[in-house]
Amino acid sequence: MRLSPFRYALALTVVVAFVLATGLVAAQQAPPTWKQGQPKEMESSTLSPIAQPPAPKAPGEIPVDKIKVPQGFKVELWASGINNARVMTWGDRGTLFVSSRVAGNVYAVTDKGGSREVKTIAKGLNLPNGVAFKDGTLYIAEIHRITKMEGIEGKLDSPPEMKVVYETLPKDAPHGWKYLAFGPDGKLYFNIGAPCNICIPPDTHANISRVNADGTGFEYWAHGVRNSVGFDWHPVTKELYFTTHARDWLGEDVPSDRLDVAPKKGLHFGYPYCHQGDIPDPQFHSGRACGEFAAPLIKTGPHVAGNGVEFYTGSMFPAEYKNRMFLAQRGSWNRSQKIGFRVMMVTLRQGDVPKYEPFAEGWLQGDQVWGRPVYTRQMKDGSLLISDDYAGAIYRVSYGR
Amino acid sequence: MPPLTFVLLALWLAGPVVSLAADLEAGRRKAVSCAACHGPDGNSTNPTVPSIAGQVGIYLHWQLLLYRDKRRVDPQMAPIAAALSEGDMADLSAFFAAQRPAPPTAAPPDPARAGTGQRLAETYHCNDCHGRDFAGREYAPRLRGLSREYLVAQMRGFKARTRGDLDGAMTQAAQPVADADIEPLADYIGSIK
Repeated sequence: MRLSPFRYALALTVVVAFVLATGLVAAQQAPPTWKQGQPKEMESSTLSPIAQPPAPKAPGEIPVDKIKVPQGFKVELWASGINNARVMTWGDRGTLFVSSRVAGNVYAVTDKGGSREVKTIAKGLNLPNGVAFKDGTLYIAEIHRITKMEGIEGKLDSPPEMKVVYETLPKDAPHGWKYLAFGPDGKLYFNIGAPCNICIPPDTHANISRVNADGTGFEYWAHGVRNSVGFDWHPVTKELYFTTHARDWLGEDVPSDRLDVAPKKGLHFGYPYCHQGDIPDPQFHSGRACGEFAAPLIKTGPHVAGNGVEFYTGSMFPAEYKNRMFLAQRGSWNRSQKIGFRVMMVTLRQGDVPKYEPFAEGWLQGDQVWGRPVYTRQMKDGSLLISDDYAGAIYRVSYGR
Repeated sequence: MPPLTFVLLALWLAGPVVSLAADLEAGRRKAVSCAACHGPDGNSTNPTVPSIAGQVGIYLHWQLLLYRDKRRVDPQMAPIAAALSEGDMADLSAFFAAQRPAPPTAAPPDPARAGTGQRLAETYHCNDCHGRDFAGREYAPRLRGLSREYLVAQMRGFKARTRGDLDGAMTQAAQPVADADIEPLADYIGSIK
């Protein structure tokens, strides 16, 4: 028997109506962010994000000697007991302010000559990953707002109230935590990440944005940026360089995370349509060609989770280190062979591709992770601090003496 | 079983990171005052108080930190957590994580309602984070053995954005859950043997 198109449609309608009426089909909801975008054939994968320990490691549990650096450099444990230590920024009077993410804390670390004292100056915050300091004031970026503490360095034991600078921000938790830094123009730059692993994000998401230090003048700086939680400006050209975490579940070796440069406002870096400059998203390409978007300066590797970006401007390290970039890579979860868990360095070269090589590694031993380097911060003397949010520690890398 | 799966399973069985530094015996001594509400070994008989025997250690430790820092609000737990050192928290979490969970005492719901609950658990992807059989994983708590009342209260709290959450993942996951689906879900999860 052949049904006419009309009768076929009618029969289909009746069946659909019956199914809906009897509640046999419940609308399938989106999976949790980390699992979203996982293809059917990977459903049995045992890969899942690495859980954040609730407590920092004791100094005796931190095998600093496993961290390998180039000849002539030395690594020491500079501070420990800083739960979930993330971004570091210097106060005018030598206080190191350290953020955390899920721990909800902001810390102040003071150097007591040979040892470090750690104070928690704010707690219970909403993933306060971003901290920046200017003219005596500490700025803190949570998911939903940017606040400031004025005159904080003189009041570490009774911190001043947090005054709101800017709070017209999305409240989404996935990729909602922020890096925060003052650009050479004196404006505050931060990211608003994609609220998903892979999706067509709202126009308000997947970007790097900026506001004036008083909270006025919000604008988008870069678009199509899935999740950048690290950036810095070139000491000479003043151009913005940033890392981006690429989407998960496309494979072991793709897509690569990236290092980009955004020398002007308004560039689009491809997400969600195109990954690593040359792989159209199989589901969300929307017919867009990769050539429409800014290509990565460096493909930094699949799933490496590039966080910190910092140009070296000190004089302790050998002369060739001047204006090199340090990239801290927190390391993979969405890959059976772990990768990352290291600090890389980038040398930009006139008329040539940048040189990209390891600077510090050893937090990954075989398949075992004992620490995760997330950010760097140069010290006044030109040595380099590296924060580790997994061990709750800060290391210092020095040269020569 | 492929070697990697085996390694991951072995790592998982080896237990959470906190247990390495924590002191189980010290935890047992410190746990005496928890017994009044949570039961001597963490198996609670009060449906409004969660059973914490066999709960994921990392989860328990983080919850104590959330209570202390007022990110998870509860008038009974707030002063208790405020009085604990971080070492106490590690010891207590390790102790309760090592206790054997008792089977649920709730009568199983009728098969139709249980079937509805099971289907809803699939619809909302509960097992993606809480593990097959709801035994929990390092970053998400065990739900087996929790009372129906407690599960309902938590789900409603997450949906209303009033239940403290480490990274917002569960708050986000609870948003699409229909109010009418919360009780059948809790009936099902609360009755798993």
